[in-house]
Amino acid sequence: MASVSNEGQRPPGRTALTDMTVMTHDNPDGGKPGLVITELAHLGKINLRGGSDMLPVISNHTGCSALPDNNRVVSVGDRHIVWLGPDEFLLLCAAGSETHLHSQLTLDMAGIHAAVTNVTDSLCALSLRGKAVRRVLAKGCALDLHSSKFGTGDCAQTMLAHAAVTLIAHDAPGFTLVCRTSFAPYVTEWLMDAGLEFGASFRG
Amino acid sequence: MLLITCPHCGPRDESEFSCGGEAHIARPLAENNLTDAEFADYLFLRDNPKGLFLERWRHAAGCRRWFNMARDTVTHEIVEIYPMGSGPASQAGKAAHAASWRRDTAAEAAAKPAPKARAKKEQVS
Ligand SMILES: [Zn+2]
Repeated sequence: MASVSNEGQRPPGRTALTDMTVMTHDNPDGGKPGLVITELAHLGKINLRGGSDMLPVISNHTGCSALPDNNRVVSVGDRHIVWLGPDEFLLLCAAGSETHLHSQLTLDMAGIHAAVTNVTDSLCALSLRGKAVRRVLAKGCALDLHSSKFGTGDCAQTMLAHAAVTLIAHDAPGFTLVCRTSFAPYVTEWLMDAGLEFGASFRG
Repeated sequence: MLLITCPHCGPRDESEFSCGGEAHIARPLAENNLTDAEFADYLFLRDNPKGLFLERWRHAAGCRRWFNMARDTVTHEIVEIYPMGSGPASQAGKAAHAASWRRDTAAEAAAKPAPKARAKKEQVS
């Protein structure tokens, strides 16, 4: 699956991490930092509650042919449907596109027992890249993060250093981490600290 | 630490779950016919057995869904995990369910619709 990205642009408007200092801890072994954190500022996030009868509508607006299986993500282009529970999904979309998408989904879901909620600003998304990503996450997470157990297209809601997070694994050694906006500075600072021994950078 | 298999998410660490206490406590429907002492069985009294215990659990940090678990309070062995609204399927689970003092309480008897009330309903429809 393609990774979630903001295509190099940072949309205007404050986020939870606006005031975080851009910083780099050099890799003690030389070379690139083992962990590179980038905020996916204002990445569109829409929470979907409902059953399989939502599929035609979701399919129409994302191009997906099926809803994701348990613990899996379905991606078509820049739209990602993340499985959260038996009747709950998180739809990720390009920053700025969520308002229109939300109203379209809401209109088309009329008559279906479903809830569509725009949670873009309630959650914060981070891109985590680098060779040491899995080793850094493993310091604060009880999941088995070996690539044979948690690989491309897998997702999980779990705890990272006592914070509730949603982890999404991509093909490159990279993850998208989604957490509550109010937890974002804590999670970022924890990640920078846990990544110290591998070199870590936060690009904002 | 327990490794608990969520019916939806698979095996996860105990820290992702919260325990909701004793399972299979039905709310009395005809509560006005109960004495305070009988109602207290439903409202306040909870079992604390040494051995197999039927409990409710919730995958709080994951899919946030409830389920039932038959767990041995001495060995921590998880005998069975089964959905809300249904009873245990294992022999040991069924035996634990049948052996609970709660099965004989007036509160649990009052949780089943009275035959009289049922007959009335049928007449109306
Ligand atoms: Zn679960």
